[in-house]
Amino acid sequence: MLLPKFDYQAPKSLREACALLDEFGAKARLLAGGTDLLVNLKHKKLAPEQVISLNRIKGLDEAAAKKGKGISIGPLATAAYLAENELAQGPLQVLAEGAGRIGSPLIRNRATIGGNIVTARPASDLAPPLLVLGALLILKGKDGERELPVEKFFKGPGKTSIKPKEILSRIFIPEPDGPGAGAYLKLGSRKALEISLVNVASFIEVGADLSIKQARIALGAVAPVPVRAKTAEKFLKGKKPQGENDPLFREAARAAVQDASPITDHRGSAEYRQALIEILTARTLQSAYSRIMKKV
Amino acid sequence: MKKMMIMLKVNGQEFDLVIPVNKTLTQVLREDLRLTGTKQGCAVGDCGSCTVLLNGKPVNSCLILAVEVDGQEITTIEGLAVDGLHPIQQSFVEHGGIQCGFCTPGMILSAKALLDKNPTPSEPEIRAAISGNLCRCTGYQKIVESIAAVGKND
Ligand SMILES: Cc1cc2nc3c(=O)[nH]c(=O)nc-3n(C[C@H](O)[C@H](O)[C@H](O)COP(=O)(O)OP(=O)(O)OC[C@H]3O[C@@H](n4cnc5c(N)ncnc54)[C@H](O)[C@@H]3O)c2cc1C
Ligand code: FES
Ligand code: FES
Repeated sequence: MLLPKFDYQAPKSLREACALLDEFGAKARLLAGGTDLLVNLKHKKLAPEQVISLNRIKGLDEAAAKKGKGISIGPLATAAYLAENELAQGPLQVLAEGAGRIGSPLIRNRATIGGNIVTARPASDLAPPLLVLGALLILKGKDGERELPVEKFFKGPGKTSIKPKEILSRIFIPEPDGPGAGAYLKLGSRKALEISLVNVASFIEVGADLSIKQARIALGAVAPVPVRAKTAEKFLKGKKPQGENDPLFREAARAAVQDASPITDHRGSAEYRQALIEILTARTLQSAYSRIMKKV
Repeated sequence: MKKMMIMLKVNGQEFDLVIPVNKTLTQVLREDLRLTGTKQGCAVGDCGSCTVLLNGKPVNSCLILAVEVDGQEITTIEGLAVDGLHPIQQSFVEHGGIQCGFCTPGMILSAKALLDKNPTPSEPEIRAAISGNLCRCTGYQKIVESIAAVGKND
């Protein structure tokens, strides 16, 4: 399979990249890790005149935490980096668990978080973790930047609210309001190179008495865009679990099933997916809560 | 078609090349440098037969534009056998890890990346490390055994 013809540019700064995007607009495509773009080019699904690589721009491939101010992640941070960097054991654990489940080790060494977000696959392994972390996306154009919660970003499979002349230049994770922890689980029919049947991320924030201040649950692969399980979240708010095995979490998981509308396809039936949502939601909540208890 | 001049450091040797910007790293290795040990199977990231080490890390060379890795270091299977076979290659020969051989260069490079970080991996660690490399012949068991046996005298 050969690549179509295109012109290639590798700007050295975001400003230069924005200027090129402004000049070429919809005729251009940005290139990050290429694990999505090159496949689409080879399958002739896309035929840009210009491929603009972000990979010569320095300082976009790392995550950094500022005390009390949250974490800023560069769009070129790879899945392998996110799965293993020093924040992966702490506040970014739920994102690290998602990153560690992308494709294969080979894919993870190239796949970037920015590319993953902009691709907007319904089964993305990073979208549910980003939803429960309350991530903010910084979108940069030639004349300035805007900030958008990740929840408002996804519009449908492959559809987002990014404009053709914008670059996702930063992903910002706000500091949790008190002790918190998350967990991510994905189920497919094999362990590697598999599109999820269902994936679930949860994040819980607690008060001083370990009661739940806020729980966020995001379900992937069960709707055109990753969705929050708001009924289940509301149910948990203010409750005080007696440890990770409290029946509360199973009850919340049953409510989460109502928040999704999975379909039947060749990977699994709607009923099977509903059963999976319940089990995976319960397990992510239990594991998030047990992680908090170990910390405090 | 626009061409660009790039320098690739492949198996320790520097190459200056003028190549069309839409060539993948697999194509440049196979067609321009005649290093045909790197295979192309699926061409879309699923099979791992195109695996090379890029700055020591295993990647799918079919999904990388060659111009993107200008100035960087690449190791292909040809770079492993310096004085005779590399110990990993030798182990694959001795433990029946090779049948048709199409997946072998990729398997061995993924194994090398693992063993460079972790010389005594567990079986699950070995299986995870080669999970992006598909084999249609061996059923994987002999490959896992070959990798586990590297550096052990049995
Ligand atoms: C074999 C295989 C297995 C895979 N398995 C998984 C999986 O298990 N889970 C999963 O979630 N995904 C999976 N993917 C999909 C893909 O690898 C990921 O979505 C990856 O994170 C995409 O990142 P990238 O850097 O490679 O994107 P690229 O291919 O470089 O870019 C993807 C798209 O995003 C745009 N883009 C990239 N960066 C920016 C930016 N900063 N600003 C604006 N636009 C940008 C590009 O123009 C392009 O349209 C798989 C892909 C392959 C080939
Ligand atoms: S040829 Fe590259 S992964 Fe199959
Ligand atoms: S030995 Fe034939 S594909 Fe692995």
